[in-house]
Amino acid sequence: MTSKDAIARFFDELAARGHEPLLGNATGTVRFNVVSGTRTERWAVTVRKGDIEVSGGDVTPDLVIRADRSLLERIVGGKANAMAALLRGELAIDGDSELLVLMQRLFPRPRGPRATTRAGYARRQR
Amino acid sequence: MSDGLVKILDGNTFVVSDERGDIEASLTDPTGLFSFDTRFLSRWVLTIDGERLNSLSVDDLQYFAARFFLVPGTGTVYVDSKLSVIRQREVGGGFQEQLTILNHDTKPARLTVRVGAGCDFADLFEVKDALAKKGSYYARAAKGGLVLGYERDTFKRETQISASSTAKADENGLTFTVKLEPHGSWETRLNVATVLSSHEVGGAVIVAKRRSWASMERGLQRWVEQAPRVECKWEPLRSTYRRSLVDLAALRFSPPVAGGKSLPAAGLPWFMTMFGRDSIFTSLQALPFTPELAATTLRVLGSWQGSGLDDFRDEDPGRILHEMRYGEMTAFEERPHSPYYGSVDATPLYVVLLDEYERWTGDRKLVRDLEHEARAALAWIDTYADLQGNGYIWYRRRNETSGLENQCWKDSWDSISYRDGRLPGFPRATCELQGYAYDAKVRGARLARVVWKDLELADRLEREAADLKRRFNRDFWVEEDEYFALALDTDGKQVDALSSNNGHLLWSGIVDKSKAKAVARHLLGPRLFSGWGVRTLAEGEARYNPIGYHVGTVWPFDNSFIAWGLRNYDFKEEAARIAAGILDAAEFFDGRLPEAFGGYERNVTKYPVQYPTACSPQAWSTGTPLLLLRTMLGLNPQGEYLVVDPALPATIGQLELLDIPGRWGRIDAFGRGRVEVRP
Repeated sequence: MTSKDAIARFFDELAARGHEPLLGNATGTVRFNVVSGTRTERWAVTVRKGDIEVSGGDVTPDLVIRADRSLLERIVGGKANAMAALLRGELAIDGDSELLVLMQRLFPRPRGPRATTRAGYARRQR
Repeated sequence: MSDGLVKILDGNTFVVSDERGDIEASLTDPTGLFSFDTRFLSRWVLTIDGERLNSLSVDDLQYFAARFFLVPGTGTVYVDSKLSVIRQREVGGGFQEQLTILNHDTKPARLTVRVGAGCDFADLFEVKDALAKKGSYYARAAKGGLVLGYERDTFKRETQISASSTAKADENGLTFTVKLEPHGSWETRLNVATVLSSHEVGGAVIVAKRRSWASMERGLQRWVEQAPRVECKWEPLRSTYRRSLVDLAALRFSPPVAGGKSLPAAGLPWFMTMFGRDSIFTSLQALPFTPELAATTLRVLGSWQGSGLDDFRDEDPGRILHEMRYGEMTAFEERPHSPYYGSVDATPLYVVLLDEYERWTGDRKLVRDLEHEARAALAWIDTYADLQGNGYIWYRRRNETSGLENQCWKDSWDSISYRDGRLPGFPRATCELQGYAYDAKVRGARLARVVWKDLELADRLEREAADLKRRFNRDFWVEEDEYFALALDTDGKQVDALSSNNGHLLWSGIVDKSKAKAVARHLLGPRLFSGWGVRTLAEGEARYNPIGYHVGTVWPFDNSFIAWGLRNYDFKEEAARIAAGILDAAEFFDGRLPEAFGGYERNVTKYPVQYPTACSPQAWSTGTPLLLLRTMLGLNPQGEYLVVDPALPATIGQLELLDIPGRWGRIDAFGRGRVEVRP
């Protein structure tokens, strides 16, 4: 699969989700400026109390997240952590930073072996 | 100050210098200008004509400002100078320093004034563990200013130094040529700005806000005015209370995601950041005084609540964070603190704080807003935390290189031991965790019933709480000596040391009424009670050491919750004895209780011995006198009312706490000391 697919698929899946209970407290619009070379691609995610809408970026955002395509691929692929990338200066934000914290809930985590065991275990406890 | 260091702070920015105002930090000592866990100045030395200055006096003007009175010539017996130098420094977005030189001579003077500057840009973790840097440094002298910088890949931190008067800058500092008239004066204003930026994407990573002196002073005044007033004949209590309020203001920290609101940072110098556990305990202590701290703590910790499984960060869905850091090692994932989730008490305590907050303030909107977070926290207790599948909270780190071994408040390596000193394997289930889980279920049930209107959940939580209490009183009770074991080991055997954790169990309410008397007797008995307070570990246990971090020292915060626990089981006099001991100790520390002090017998040392590397001010030590005021006055919200049931040490005399905020508006509480406590 090409790299473009990973990011596009992430946003497609987000749009298809419609409602995300993890964002029940969130309201606002986050625009992603995805930079590859001189080109910037835009995606916008609007959240209203957990209801999610994805559009092409022609909206007034509360937060802009700017990142290289390769970094965002790693983030949506669970290989990079957005907060650490922000501290490293690899990712930049402008606006309401709380929205970044809430957006982090949507990014997958690196799947370590212990995490997998733990997930199964926790399911059995319920 | 006692250690010869002058500290000023504002949230997570602080400056630690010597009494001359100079900074000459080695890699391993935490002096300098720090912000967001990074050192932005490690060298800052003032000389006049090449000579160092001598300190005459230091004024702590405010928590965020200090003034140094200096004269040239290094301290011999006698100083007779024709010059005086005043350095006035205030912290905020870096710091500003007003430098004034006064000529007392009838002749003019011509001086070379130099401010030497340098920076190692150490991450606080590197200072703590003496680690070497991986990036490269640069220094740029420009007209009238100096930029010190450090970069590693996309990571960049800069210190920008400038002056209001003409200076000649080089890579190691600024030089001023000063001409002074007879009885004349000269001054300049130095500005040191900290910049966290990135050159990949441009722009600032995090903007440290700078506020003016006037606005900080107004803020502090408002803070103190809005808190209840203490009227008391015993002066030490009034000054300890005042000190606590101001220190709490100083430790207020607006993390980049709190919408400008603040929560308490944990402690100077090592822990000037957001900690789940510390923020929750401090918010609980301060609830009757400054309930807004609890609201911010709940919102911010809620935003950061774990939502996935990450072994490196010990993150689980529903888990409340342990510690957030902003330095280089965190940025490059050499440390997991972005944030790190390795604590197992913060999650149940989150629910405890949410309920206690509602009981005081009546703010049901916040309880509704955080329903999802509270439910996720409650679910975590029964799933991810129950590592042995037997209905207890256990811990074992998944990050074995940089994660925490002990994920309870006693988080040093040797804190959990059997009486004979052996350390148990992992996972471990310490006793106080089960108490917090019990309390979280009981309080979660109340919130479910009253606010979320989910009766099914309320019933289930109450059933589970009752079952947990029954099992706990059977499995953790050390029958022959009548106290609760410190922990259970993997085989379900008791880790049988006697510890202060028993007091937290009283606080949580998990202790059977029939067992409470024996527990209280131990807490005030000679093995645990030093005369100042309850030791973390009882004298006579193999690992007991009166200056061991969690194995014998007295922690003021620990004692404030023990006093609360004793009150919950109606041991009023015992609670008053603990309050009296800790407040007496506070007097020796000028009203500023340190993180911990030695567990030596009070009758032997006569004064409390400070633990060598204790943090001060430390948020939950700062909150301790506040909670003790609550326990002494017996304040407890019941429905729309505040019940007052005082039991005060006789030494305190009459005590009035005026304008206590809450769902009742503002109310006053009075008490008279009748409990004889002298050891």
